[in-house]
Amino acid sequence: MAATRRSRRMAADILTYFVLVSMSLFCIGPIVWMFLTSLKLEADIVTQTMQYIPNRITFQNYVAIWTQSSFPVLIGNSFIVTLITVVVCLATGTLAAYAFSRYTFRGRNTLMLGYLVVRMFPAVMMIIPLYVVLRSVGLIDSRIGLALAYTSFLLPLFVWMLKGFFDAAPKELESAARIDGSTRFGAMLWIVIPLARNGLVASSVFIAIAAWNEFLFALMLTTGQGSRTWPVGLQLMVGEFQLPWGVLAAGGILSILPVMLMFALVQRVMVQGLTAGAIKG
Amino acid sequence: MATLSLQNVQKSYGGLQVLHGIDVELEDGGFLVLLGPSGCGKSTLLNLIAGLDDISAGDIRIDGRSVIELAPKDRNIAMVFQSYALYPTMTVERNIGFGLEMRGVNGNERSAAVKQAADLLQISHLLDRRPANLSGGQRQRVAMGRAIVRNPDLFLFDEPLSNLDAKLRAEMRTEIKRLHGRLGTSVVYVTHDQIEAMTLGTKVAVMKGGYIQQFADPQTIYEKPANIFVAGFIGSPSMNFVTGTLTSDGRIARFEASGVRVEIPSNSDEMFDARPAVLGIRPEELKVDDGESAMLTGTIDVVEPTGPDTMVTVRIGEQPIVARLPSRFSGKAGETVGLIAHVNSMSLFDYQTELRVPL
Amino acid sequence: MDTGSHLPKTGMIGELSETRYWIYLLLLPSLVIILLVIAYPTIYGMAISFREMRLTRPGLTGWVGFKHYLVMIDDPVFWVALKNTVLWVTFAVVLELGLGFIAATALNRNVPGTGIFAVLILVPYFLPNVVAGHMWALLLDPRLGVINDILVRVGVLGSYKAWFADPNTALAATIFVEAWHGFPFFALLLLAGLKGIPHDLYKAAAVDGAGPIAQFRLITVPMLKSVIAAAVILRVISLVNSPDLLLILTGGGPGDATQVLSLYAFQTAYKDFNFGYASALSVVMFVILMVFAYAYIRLSKIGQE
Repeated sequence: MAATRRSRRMAADILTYFVLVSMSLFCIGPIVWMFLTSLKLEADIVTQTMQYIPNRITFQNYVAIWTQSSFPVLIGNSFIVTLITVVVCLATGTLAAYAFSRYTFRGRNTLMLGYLVVRMFPAVMMIIPLYVVLRSVGLIDSRIGLALAYTSFLLPLFVWMLKGFFDAAPKELESAARIDGSTRFGAMLWIVIPLARNGLVASSVFIAIAAWNEFLFALMLTTGQGSRTWPVGLQLMVGEFQLPWGVLAAGGILSILPVMLMFALVQRVMVQGLTAGAIKG
Repeated sequence: MATLSLQNVQKSYGGLQVLHGIDVELEDGGFLVLLGPSGCGKSTLLNLIAGLDDISAGDIRIDGRSVIELAPKDRNIAMVFQSYALYPTMTVERNIGFGLEMRGVNGNERSAAVKQAADLLQISHLLDRRPANLSGGQRQRVAMGRAIVRNPDLFLFDEPLSNLDAKLRAEMRTEIKRLHGRLGTSVVYVTHDQIEAMTLGTKVAVMKGGYIQQFADPQTIYEKPANIFVAGFIGSPSMNFVTGTLTSDGRIARFEASGVRVEIPSNSDEMFDARPAVLGIRPEELKVDDGESAMLTGTIDVVEPTGPDTMVTVRIGEQPIVARLPSRFSGKAGETVGLIAHVNSMSLFDYQTELRVPL
Repeated sequence: MDTGSHLPKTGMIGELSETRYWIYLLLLPSLVIILLVIAYPTIYGMAISFREMRLTRPGLTGWVGFKHYLVMIDDPVFWVALKNTVLWVTFAVVLELGLGFIAATALNRNVPGTGIFAVLILVPYFLPNVVAGHMWALLLDPRLGVINDILVRVGVLGSYKAWFADPNTALAATIFVEAWHGFPFFALLLLAGLKGIPHDLYKAAAVDGAGPIAQFRLITVPMLKSVIAAAVILRVISLVNSPDLLLILTGGGPGDATQVLSLYAFQTAYKDFNFGYASALSVVMFVILMVFAYAYIRLSKIGQE
C-alpha cells in the first residue's frame, strides 16, 4: 500500500515536471529561436537546410539595426514617452489611489467604478477622437501627446493596482502618525508611501512595460521621426525596407531587453499585485 | 494633565447617527473607561476626541479649551491602538521618539526622553530592534512608550489589551494601572472587557447604541446599575433576572414571583400595586438558607464545581438563576434548595422601561 | 542610529491636508486627466459616429444621423468581421483557459524549481505584440519557418505550409499565436485561485472517500468559478479590444479571413481616414464590451459595496 502510494506520488511529480518543462519550452523556445536567428548571417537564415545551431555567430545584425537605421532614435522616443507616462501616473495616480484606499466620501464607489470601466473602453474608440483632439491642440506626433494618450488606459489601471497595495498598509498607522504630530499629508508621505514602496515600484513597472510595448495608439498618433516609438518604427521598417530577418530579430531582442530587465527586477511583487488587482478589481 | 469635557457630542455618517449627544466630564488625572459591546460607538467617540474623525455636533474641551477645530497633532494627546500601529520601517527607538521628532525636539533631548520612557517600561534592551522582531507584549510596551514619552495632556487607549493572551492581559492591566498612578495623566480607555473597566476606571461610561447607559464610578455601576443592560453587562457570571410583580406601600416594597418572595425596605414615597418588575440578584450575593427566611426556593438543575466556588443553577418556577456558592456545597441535581441574599445588594427594574426602580 | 535626523516639514500642503478639501485635492489631478483624455474623447467619439468626417476629404462634413449605422447593416465586411471576432475570441479564450489551467495545476504542486518555471511561463505575457508577431511570422514562415521544418521532419506535414496566407488556416494560426501570448495571464490568475482553496477541503474530501477526479469536480471547479469567470471576462474584453497581433500578422487577410471588428475599425480610421464610419464601428464594439464589463462588475461585487 505504502509502496503504491509512493510510486503514485512519484508518477505525479514526473508528470508535473513534464508539463512544466514543456510549457516553459513552449513559452521560451520561440524567443530563444529569435535570439539564435539574430546571431546568424542572413545567408544561414535563408538556406535550404535549416540550421538549428548557428554555424557562424555574428553580431553584425545588431550593428546594422543600431547604426544603419533610426533604431536608436526610436528607442530614445519610446524611453521618453514611457518616462512621461510613468511620471504622470505616479504623480496623479498615487494621490487618487491613496484617497480611494483611505477615505470614504460621497460618490467614492461610483468614481472607482468609473476608473474600472474606462479601462475596458475599446482602444479604437479612443484613438479616433484623441487623434482629432491632439491634432487640434498641436500635440499630434509629439511624445507628450502620445504619453497623455497612454494615461487614458494606464492611469486607471495604475490607480486600481496601487489601491490594492495601499489597502495592505494598516490605517491605524496613519492615525498614530497624526497623533504623533504629522499632518495627513505627512503621514501619507513618511509612513504609508514607504510601506507601499514595493507596490509603487511594481505598479510603475507594470505600466512602464505596457507603455514601452504599446503599438496601436503609437501607430495612429505618431507620424514622423520626432516622436515615433520603436514598435511602430520596427513595423514600418519591415514594410518599407524588406528588413532582413536577422536584423529584425536583433531589433526584437534589443527592444525586449528593457522589458525583461524590469520584469526580472520586480516579478514577484508584480505577480502579487497583478493577481490581487485582477481578482478584487 | 488636564480635564476632559464632552458636551452633547454627536456623530452621524450620512443619515446614520452613531452617537446621540454624549455628555461626559472627566476630572484632572482621572481614568475614564468607555465600556460597551462592539458597535456601541465607543471607538467612534475615542476617534472624535483624538480628532481622527470630525464631530457632527457638540463640543469637546480639553482643559476648558475647545479642540474640535484642531488637527490631531495640535491636541497634545497620545494614543495606544489595538493593533499597536508601530511604524514597521523604524526601530523601536525611533518609533518611541517619532512624536518628539515631528515636534522638532533635538536629537539629544529626544534620546534622553526615549531612554527614560523605555526604562519605565523595561524595554531599554529592545531599542535597536524593529517591531517585526518583537513579541506581542513587547509591542504593547513600545506602543505605550510612544504614548508616554511626549508627556501629553491626555492618553487615549483603544482596546489596547485585546490582542494579548489572558495571562499577559492581566499583567499589562496592572502595568497600566501602575503607570497611571505614577504619571497622573488623564486617560480615556476604550474596552469591551468589564474587568478592565472595573479595575482601571475612576469613571466608567457604559455605552450601547450610541447612548451612554450609565456614567458613574465602578462601584456604583456594579452595585446600583441604572438599567437591565448595564446590570447584565457588568459582572461575571451575569446578574440573575427574575420577572415578577412589585408592590409597595411606601415603607416596604414586596417583590413576588413563583418561588420568590422578597421584602425590601423603601424610602420612596411612590406606591404601586402588583407592578410588573424585574428583580436582579448577583450570583455572588446568594447564600443557601433552607429555613423559613428563604427568599427564593427552587430545584437544583446543574452543579458545576470550579475549584474555589461551585456554580449552581437553580430553577425558580420556570426561571433559571445561577448562584456562586462555596465549594463545600453538597446539594445534588433534583433537590430543593432555598436561597437568600442581602436586600441592599438587590436591584429592581421596571419591566417596561427596564430602568432601575429607586427604593 | 538616526536619532539626529529630522523629517522635513510638509508646510502648506500639510496644513491643507488637515482641512476637508484634502480629499478633493487628492482626487483632482487624476480626475482632470481622466476627463481630458477619456471622458471628453469618448463623448466626442460617439458624436463623430453620427457625423461625416474624412480627413482625406475635408469638405465632406456635417451631421448624418444614423447613416453609418445603416451602412454597417449592409456592409458584408462588418458581418464577416463580427463572425470572425466571435470565433477568434471564443477559440482563443478556450485554448488559453485550457493551457492556463494545466500550467496553474502543475505550478500549484510546488515541486522544487517551481519559481523558475513560473517566471519562464509568464514571459510571453510581457512580450510586445510587435515582437511576438514578427517572431511567430518567422517561426511559421512558408520558406524559412522552423516549425514547418520540424513538422515535415516528424512527418506531420508533406511540405512547408503558408499558415497565414492560406484562408483555411490563417484564423487558426493567429488564434494559436494569440493563445501563446495570452495563456500566462490565465495561468497566473488560476494559480492565485488554486492557492486560495483551503487544503483542509481536499483532506476532508479524501477522508470522505473522494478520488482525485471527484475532488477536482466537487472542490476545485466550484471554488475557482468566480476566478475563472473574472479571468474570462477580462480576457474577452482585451481580445475584442486589441487588433495588434492580427494587424502585424495578417492585416486581416487573406481576403477578410482574419478580419475582426477592432481591426476593421482601426483600418477604416488609419488607412481610409474615414473617422465617421470607424467611430460607428467602435461604438458598436463599445456596446458589446460594456455588456461584458457589466457582467464583470456584477461578479466582482464592486457595484454593491
